[in-house]
Amino acid sequence: MLKENFKDFFETLKKLGEVHAPVRRGRLFSFTKVDSPGEVALNYNRTMLPPKKYFVKPFEEVLKIKVGKGYELIVEEPKSLVLLGLHACDINALRVLDSVYLDEPQDDYYQVRRAAAIVIGVSCEPDEYCFCKSMGTDYAWTGFDLFLHELGTSYLVRVGSSRGESIIESMSNIIGEPTKEDFIKLRDLELKRSRMFKKILNTSLLPDIVDSLHESEVWVVFSDKCVSCGSCNLVCPTCRCYDVTEKVELNLQEGVRVRRWDSCFIRSHALVAGGLNFRPTRLDRFRHRYNCKSSIDPRTNLPFCVGCGRCSAFCPAGIDHVNVLNAIWGLA
Amino acid sequence: MSSAYLPKLAKIVEVTEMTAIEKLFKLQFVNEEDAKSFTFKPGQFVEVNVPGVGESPISICKSPTRPGPLELLIRRIGRVTNAIHKLKPGDVVGIRGPFGNGFPMEKMKGYDVLLIAGGLGIAPLMSVLQYVIDRREDYGEVTLLYGVRSYQEALFRDMAIDLIKHPEKACLRTFLSYERDDPVFVSLMRDHPENVRKGVVTVLFECADPYIKPDKVCAVVCGPPIMYRFVLKELAKRNIPPNNIYITLERRMKCGIGKCGHCIVGGATAIRYICKDGPVFTYSDVLSVRGLV
Ligand SMILES: Cc1cc2nc3c(=O)[nH]c(=O)nc-3n(C[C@H](O)[C@H](O)[C@H](O)COP(=O)(O)OP(=O)(O)OC[C@H]3O[C@@H](n4cnc5c(N)ncnc54)[C@H](O)[C@@H]3O)c2cc1C
Ligand code: SF4
Ligand code: SF4
Ligand code: FES
Repeated sequence: MLKENFKDFFETLKKLGEVHAPVRRGRLFSFTKVDSPGEVALNYNRTMLPPKKYFVKPFEEVLKIKVGKGYELIVEEPKSLVLLGLHACDINALRVLDSVYLDEPQDDYYQVRRAAAIVIGVSCEPDEYCFCKSMGTDYAWTGFDLFLHELGTSYLVRVGSSRGESIIESMSNIIGEPTKEDFIKLRDLELKRSRMFKKILNTSLLPDIVDSLHESEVWVVFSDKCVSCGSCNLVCPTCRCYDVTEKVELNLQEGVRVRRWDSCFIRSHALVAGGLNFRPTRLDRFRHRYNCKSSIDPRTNLPFCVGCGRCSAFCPAGIDHVNVLNAIWGLA
Repeated sequence: MSSAYLPKLAKIVEVTEMTAIEKLFKLQFVNEEDAKSFTFKPGQFVEVNVPGVGESPISICKSPTRPGPLELLIRRIGRVTNAIHKLKPGDVVGIRGPFGNGFPMEKMKGYDVLLIAGGLGIAPLMSVLQYVIDRREDYGEVTLLYGVRSYQEALFRDMAIDLIKHPEKACLRTFLSYERDDPVFVSLMRDHPENVRKGVVTVLFECADPYIKPDKVCAVVCGPPIMYRFVLKELAKRNIPPNNIYITLERRMKCGIGKCGHCIVGGATAIRYICKDGPVFTYSDVLSVRGLV
């Protein structure tokens, strides 16, 4: 697809649902509703909040409570959504979320939104924080509908689902057959990209190394710097812990249950009634996060960290995920 | 719409005060359909909701072999459980579940069953105890080691005393340990020195040892977190295979279905959800998953 056709491509997408894409906001990028192709910043490095915000809301009412009379799930009418411009890491992160939220019993709230979302990926180049190549998540082979590979003056469109197939069938006027030259270009660009990664994490045996060096001093050094702000959880595309609370109206007849994103850096995350805390110290909580992120999802065989670099880029204490683990490897 | 997130209404039909801080609640589902579709296994738990206050995971304190209302033994210890304790017969709560894996009662068939309970740990074990009594022919010898702090704090104390005085009634051997003296337990110990000891639950191994056949027994353990380390050590010492030692664990929970992340334990090589992969684990799991006990 020639880049000059992107405008038409975008207009067709708009007919399929509300289009959300990365948009520049000062120095940062953010997934936002877009109305015109000009707003879309396909050449972005990373958004602060990952696409998970579309599927698990930072804060939402989930259950209507009629005191003593019954309950009603608050599941919104599915709204067709086109998520345009996801990087491979974020697509793989969605697969990790899928494996948790769509595992039986399904999370109804997530399921409804995920089913109504068309996902269109876009190729990218790594910056100083990206290490998806190390994690094996630099390539999305499923979990999306279409994927745009930028080849200079055109995009090569890769199809990832039957829904994606029917979308491009309807666009045969703007999306032509790829040529042999396109494939050569794709190969060369991908090789170039693969050589651009500066952040490298040794991942062979990583879970065992992290586990067996549980008592390493390195954890202490880094956790002493951590201010337990929880930013790394909020920006992480695979972090999915949520907290649940409820409240009643003044009439005491009706109430509502809400859930919101939670953070394992908060003291109360593993606190139980009576005062026992299973992760009482910041060191415990710090290691818990690295344990979680260094482990492998048994359902997808994907790592729980997709190497997007957000936690490193947005940590106010300057703690870099790869530097911590490299220090565990003895490389610092 | 049926969903694991949707509580079902249940009416409290009976409340029994068990101790100063624990009450036994009997509950009946308001809708016939919900009552019919609710089936559970020993060791599973439900999420109990007091509208507007919140939810708490509570073990089902009853065996599926017994008909009648759902039974929950609840300790008053925080916001939700305090609110539950204020409820009276006729009041309505919400129930989600049952959740968790429960005890593998099928796999335990043919084995002797050694139940070890500390304090409130008797709540989930009651489901196993009733189950093996009701299916007596499926299991070998049944032994209960029950540790309590004091007579005042002892749950099901009349049952325990009765079992010690009349072991033939339920065809099981019962051993009781207590930490603080009082006339009832002191005289019980005098009359049954081979069954009652002063101390923590592990002092009972000495009494029970003649009846523990390591290759023929499944041990089932529940108690406060610190109890596990000591009890598991004793069981391991007796060469009971790690796969035949079952424990049931507790962690902070919000969803009960493996989504909210609160109950996650483990190191990077093995992450487990207590709510979904548990709450019942084997001693083998304890050896391979970091931080389980
Ligand atoms: C599988 C399982 C079975 C249990 N069975 C029983 C039982 O049979 N009888 C009984 O009395 N207690 C049982 N508990 C413990 C009981 O869930 C807590 O005591 C209770 O949730 C405390 O809630 P609260 O609001 O009163 O306390 P608060 O301290 O006010 O807690 C606030 C919230 O945190 C969470 N939370 C706090 N403590 C725990 C905890 N220990 N476990 C899980 N979530 C917690 C709950 O969502 C709770 O509503 C069980 C716990 C688990 C995990
Ligand atoms: S963002 Fe940095 S300082 Fe904040 S909790 Fe995470 S590691 Fe700690
Ligand atoms: S842990 Fe950090 S690098 Fe890994 S997926 Fe989460 S935010 Fe991205
Ligand atoms: S209680 Fe939510 S994941 Fe286990």
